[in-house]
Amino acid sequence: MATSFFQSSSGSSAFGPAWASSLGVVAIVLGVFLTGLHGTEWMKQVVMVNHYSDTMEKPAADCPEEELEEEGISLAECEFMVDHIWGLGLSTPDWFPGTQMTLAAIGTLLAFLSLIIGGALVNFRPWAVPAAITVFAGLTAVDALQFAAVVNAGPIIRDIYLWNILLWLLIHLLMLTGAIAGRHVERSQ
Amino acid sequence: MQNQGYSRTAVFLHWTIAVSIFFLFISSWWMLGLPLPSKELQFRAFPFQLHKNIGITLVLLLFILLYVRFKHRPAPVESSMKPWMHKLALADHVLLYVLILATCVTGYLSSAHTKWDTVFWWVIEFPRIAAPNEDMNEFWGELHLWTAWALLALVAVHISGAVYHAFINDGIVRRMMRW
Repeated sequence: MATSFFQSSSGSSAFGPAWASSLGVVAIVLGVFLTGLHGTEWMKQVVMVNHYSDTMEKPAADCPEEELEEEGISLAECEFMVDHIWGLGLSTPDWFPGTQMTLAAIGTLLAFLSLIIGGALVNFRPWAVPAAITVFAGLTAVDALQFAAVVNAGPIIRDIYLWNILLWLLIHLLMLTGAIAGRHVERSQ
Repeated sequence: MQNQGYSRTAVFLHWTIAVSIFFLFISSWWMLGLPLPSKELQFRAFPFQLHKNIGITLVLLLFILLYVRFKHRPAPVESSMKPWMHKLALADHVLLYVLILATCVTGYLSSAHTKWDTVFWWVIEFPRIAAPNEDMNEFWGELHLWTAWALLALVAVHISGAVYHAFINDGIVRRMMRW
């Protein structure tokens, strides 16, 4: 018979402990989402590195009326898109894109691994708990490094990234704590 | 042929498709805020081509997944699911497949009516299937948008169902988590 997470604090069933099933599914859902987020961040930095240069003069926005209609934006918004990306480029320190690309690439890999490990937790493989601790610790470290980078990248970048990173840092700390607590429960049984 | 869970190929394809869908959603919201393209402003070129590459790949993966799933059907799991839950799960799955396909096809048709060519993973140049046409581009673009929103809603239902089964620990979600 299956044991619900809510029936027993350390409930185990033929399927494995309930804490592992719950932590596993959280790791999977967040892993899928975070892989997409880190992948997008990597892409953002690639685009900025390839198309923005602070030695280049800001080009004028090209806003044909039919394009504005298709995009559902005003002329002012179309011009602002260029101002916005240029402002972003101007407020980004030289070291930031490389750092973010590296951390985003590591983050993408770890997020995908957390998805696999989430599955192993749900099916409760013996290696899943130490692997979960390692990967969640890795994700926490990536968040902490991104946090440190963003804090030192100036007010505009800080405004864009800081709270998002802080939220992920807290989520990964909670998941890491959950995995460590789960290991203690398993060892004590 | 029936097994305890889905085949490893099906599991791998399922999660690759899931990650791709989330990447496409998140990245598309960002790339639509990039400046409209001009000779000097090419910010959109790479993300749009990547979006198309992943979308076309998604269709191919979806067909492989459907083939694998029908070839290797997992044995039914005993659970306390009510009949309406079974029906909802079945409807959600069928609609998910239809909407993934519809979102990708409408996206491609929208793109096919622009002046931009599609070079699949920057290697295979797709032949043009239509001349640039603003009205058709807008029509398919709108459909792409609405099918994408509907897909997102269904993905939310799908995830909620998976989380529900994980919390009651009845072995349903395990079938898609075999490594």
